[in-house]
Amino acid sequence: MTHLSRLWNIFRITWLEQRRSPWDLLMVLLLAPAFLYMYWAFMGGGSTSYKVLVINSDRDPCPVGGAGQSCAEQAIQRMSQLTYRGGTPILRLTLLEERSEAEKRLRDRTAAALVIFPEEFSRAISAARLGQPPPEASVVLVGDLANPYYSVAAIMTSATLEDYLRQVTNQPRPVQISEQPLGGSGSRSEFEMYVPGLLIAAVTMMIFSVTIAVTRQIESGTVRRLQLTRMTAFDFLGGISLMYLWIALLSVALSILTAQALGFRSQGPLWLAWLIYVLTALASIGAGLITACFSGTAARAAIIANFPLMLLLFFSGAVFPLPQVRLFTIAGRTIGLFDLLPHTHAVTALNKVLSLGSGVSEIGFELAALAVLCVAYFAAGVWLFQRMHMRAR
Amino acid sequence: MPTIILETLHLTRRYGDLLAVRDLSLQVQEGEIFGFLGPNGAGKTTSIHMMCGLLRPDEGEVRIAGRRVQGGDPELRAQIGMCPQTNILWSKLTCLEQLEFSGQMYGLPGRLARRRGQELLETFGLAEKRHKLAGSLSGGMQRRLNLALALVHGPRILVLDEPEAGLDPQSRLLVREYIRAWAGAEGRTVILTTHNMDEAERLAERVAIIDHGALLVLDTPEALKRRLGEGDVLEIELAGDGGPPTEQALPVVKPLSQQVNLLGQTLVLRERNMVEKITPLTQALQGAGFQVGAVHLRANSLEDVFIGLTGRSLRE
Repeated sequence: MTHLSRLWNIFRITWLEQRRSPWDLLMVLLLAPAFLYMYWAFMGGGSTSYKVLVINSDRDPCPVGGAGQSCAEQAIQRMSQLTYRGGTPILRLTLLEERSEAEKRLRDRTAAALVIFPEEFSRAISAARLGQPPPEASVVLVGDLANPYYSVAAIMTSATLEDYLRQVTNQPRPVQISEQPLGGSGSRSEFEMYVPGLLIAAVTMMIFSVTIAVTRQIESGTVRRLQLTRMTAFDFLGGISLMYLWIALLSVALSILTAQALGFRSQGPLWLAWLIYVLTALASIGAGLITACFSGTAARAAIIANFPLMLLLFFSGAVFPLPQVRLFTIAGRTIGLFDLLPHTHAVTALNKVLSLGSGVSEIGFELAALAVLCVAYFAAGVWLFQRMHMRAR
Repeated sequence: MPTIILETLHLTRRYGDLLAVRDLSLQVQEGEIFGFLGPNGAGKTTSIHMMCGLLRPDEGEVRIAGRRVQGGDPELRAQIGMCPQTNILWSKLTCLEQLEFSGQMYGLPGRLARRRGQELLETFGLAEKRHKLAGSLSGGMQRRLNLALALVHGPRILVLDEPEAGLDPQSRLLVREYIRAWAGAEGRTVILTTHNMDEAERLAERVAIIDHGALLVLDTPEALKRRLGEGDVLEIELAGDGGPPTEQALPVVKPLSQQVNLLGQTLVLRERNMVEKITPLTQALQGAGFQVGAVHLRANSLEDVFIGLTGRSLRE
């Protein structure tokens, strides 16, 4: 028997075994296409509309265009007319009065950028058209520089404004466009920008450890043995979760210390970031428990656990941003589909603390949502485990 | 009147189209060693899993000490110690650690669980291995540890699924003596499944034989053997070629022995005082032109009863 025929035989029996585990095969084949499709669908077919907040203090009539409009209103109109080829608007504008409200939205990442038109905007344009020295006026772009959506929204906004200004004044830049980073986001190094996401990814990997720890016991039959004792699903999963929470506490502390040693600086309190990471780890543990219920064997767990892992990383904004898919509004707050993922709140809260220097009071909602979702995931895990592995079958 | 500790009433369980257990009704008396016999796939393990509350019957019910076993009743389940057919151990825990852990999960205080664990390790010849990981033990040692785990919480009913499988003769003797001694204490009952007839005959006070999920007989081994035919079993092998067809041997021996079967090339005869008939039988066969090979004389066994009831065809 030659090497080639032996190799062929090994290929053949591996294929036969794989084919006889159709679910495993299907999962491997469909994982990437399914996520690509989901991402495409949630992105509205690939055309993201960037939410831009506008505060317009310009009340004077514009010397061009007529209809009593101010120049800022004309510029805003121009911004709103920017569309993709399919007609989807590139910028979704929302007019606001208060800067504090706008900044809150930027911190919550429900908007990508804020544009503030000064009250001298029309006057500056009028002066420029007449060849007079314009009054000092500056359009301010405000945003969280750590938010990947900000840079796109800012570029599109400033390009549109410059185009408008050139058109109405025939001058390159009669009004300055300046940028004000939100919180401490302007002073973040690239490394510092990546650290929060990297740590989120690291604690999310706990899904694998937890899923395999549970399925190993199901597979070896020790769960069956314990089923005869007074043990409940809560005891079993609670014990395992506690063990992995302990590991998470240490792992997150070690990771933060390492990041600090390598030059990472947090704008907000580090203990708060640590707490968020620990809650995120707890949520990942909960997701691991749910995954274990459907896995049955450790080998299958290694495949199935990729689903929640990718879901929690790619659809929470931890790796790249996603638009909000609105579900309902409660107490004035819009709840989106991805808000059901604990990691969505973790990403927002960490960004607020690490980049924008927020404290506990500013991340109250995220902490509460994270805690509620941790409990919900754990409860779902216990309920499923009780039904699928602890009851007489 | 003996107390009924465990009772099954019209127990039925299906797996898809397969009827694994069919209308099984039996009573196990407190203090007895009850043998549950059947070929592979007869429904033994399914039956005992229903008795332990690990499986839910499709029809019928199980009662322990008169109380109906519901799937999730921990009080009732804790009265049972279950030793499964395959070794179910925590391979990364030492022998003592897992006994202690298991005892505590049944609700024993830590110290008591540890003491019980140490006693059981001593009993099963594993005291020297108390700090060894279960995964590093030999197959026979793992088997003994598997049994110890079923006993650590002091159950009233011990359910053993093929307890002697995978044991060497010394370990088998040790386990057999322990089971007998354990069951000797007041109020303790043993239910064991096996297809090892020798094991059942030596240990069980009453035996139930099931096949295709249904109960065939339930009695003491002695009574079952009597039912098949009292006395000895004589096996005469017909050897060599050129003689008459073997089926023609039956009418030759019938006048000398009424209970006779032909199994392949072997005549199996059952009769009292068979030893006196060996010479007349061999002479009659030789006179009819048959060549007589090996001749075995043995006592009627439970295996004969078992084969008589369940047949000789292979299962699974």
